[in-house]
Amino acid sequence: MTDRLDRWADPPLLVLASLAEEPKHGYAITQDVAQTMGVRLTAGTLYAVISRLEAGGLIEPLEPEGRRRPYRITAAGAQALARQSERMSHVALVARQRLSMRSGLAGA
Amino acid sequence: MRGIPAARHTPAGAPPLARAVLALYPPAWRARYGDEALAYLEESGAGSGELASLLWRAAPAWAWPPAHLHDPPARMRASLATILMAWSALAVLGGAFDQLTQQQGIAPAGHPVIGWSYAIFGVALALSALVLGAGCLPLWLLMLRRARRDHSPRATACLLTPVAAPVAGLLALALILGAVGHPGGVGPWWFLAITMLGFATAAMAAAGPGIALRTQRPRGPAVRLAAVTAAIATATIIVAFAASALAAIGLYLWAHQFAGYHNGVLLGTYLAVVAAAGATAAVSATRGTYAALAR
Repeated sequence: MTDRLDRWADPPLLVLASLAEEPKHGYAITQDVAQTMGVRLTAGTLYAVISRLEAGGLIEPLEPEGRRRPYRITAAGAQALARQSERMSHVALVARQRLSMRSGLAGA
Repeated sequence: MRGIPAARHTPAGAPPLARAVLALYPPAWRARYGDEALAYLEESGAGSGELASLLWRAAPAWAWPPAHLHDPPARMRASLATILMAWSALAVLGGAFDQLTQQQGIAPAGHPVIGWSYAIFGVALALSALVLGAGCLPLWLLMLRRARRDHSPRATACLLTPVAAPVAGLLALALILGAVGHPGGVGPWWFLAITMLGFATAAMAAAGPGIALRTQRPRGPAVRLAAVTAAIATATIIVAFAASALAAIGLYLWAHQFAGYHNGVLLGTYLAVVAAAGATAAVSATRGTYAALAR
C-alpha cells in the first residue's frame, strides 16, 4: 500500500522541479527525475506533461540541439512551483506532526 | 546546461515500431514533438514500457489536443468537416439498417427490447439530423453569402452539394427502382449497389462543405455554434446507433427464423463500421467542443 502512494506523484510538478535547476531536454528530465526524486516518468507521460506545461506558459522550448529540444522553466512556472512546494511543505509538516503524535500516543 | 546523461542504448535510428506508435498521434503533435520523442526513444532504448505509454496517450492527444498547437477556429473547422463526413456515412448506414429491419416488420415476439431499440433509433436519428441542420444553417448561409460576394462559383458549388448530392442520389434511386424494382423490393445485390450509391452521395454531400471550410476559413460565433451543435448531433447519433447495435444483436440472437439475421459476419461488419464511424465522429466532436469552449 505504501508504494502505491508513488503513483500519485504529480508529473507536472516533477518536471517543473527538474527544470528549476537548469534547462533540459526530454530524456535528461526523466533521468534527473528518476535519480533525484526516485520517480520514473515514461515517454507518454513526459510529452503529455511537456505539452500541458508549454500550453500553460509554465515552461518554454529553447532552440533545438539536433533533434533534441531543451526546455526551461518560465517565471510563471517558477512561481507555480514555489506555491505548490509551500503547500506540499505544509502538508508534510502536518503529516509529520500527526505521525509523531500518533507514535507518542502508542508509546504511552 | 547539464550534460547529456549516458544513454542505455543508442541505436542508429528509431525502431519502426516507435515510428508506428508516433504515427498514431495528430499531425500537429507530430510536427511539434515527433522528432524529439523519436530522439528520446533512441536514447532510452525504446522499451516496451515507453512505447506502451506513448500508445496509451495517443487517444487523449487527439481528443484534447494542446491548445498552443492549434488555432481554435481551424480545429473547429477540421472537426466540423470530419463530423459531417462520419455523420453522413452513419445516416446512410441508418437508412440501410431501417430498410433491413423495421421496414421488413421484423420484431420477434417476446423480445420488446428490439421494438424499443427501433423506437430509440428512429427518434435519436431524427433529433440528430435536426440539431445538425439547425446548428450548421447559420454558418452555411454565411459561407454562401461570402461565396456570392467573392464571385466564387467553385465555393458556391461546394456549398450546394449538401442539397444537390442527395437530390441527385434520390433521382438515381428512383431510376434504379423503376428499372429493377418489384413489389417485394430489390434483390440483395441491387440493395448493396443502392447502399454504395448512398455512401457515395453522402460523401459528396459532406465533402463540398468540407472543401469550402478549408478554402474560406470562416471564424466567429457561427463556426463555434456549428462545432458545438455538431458535437451534440454526434452524441445523439451515437445513441441512435447504440440502439441499432442492440437491435442487431437481438435479431442475431432471437430472429433465427428470418434469413440473414443469424449471420455473424454481417453483424460483425455492421458493428465494426458503426464503431469506426462513431469513434471518428466522437473524437472529432470532443476536439471541436474543446476548441469552441477554449478561451
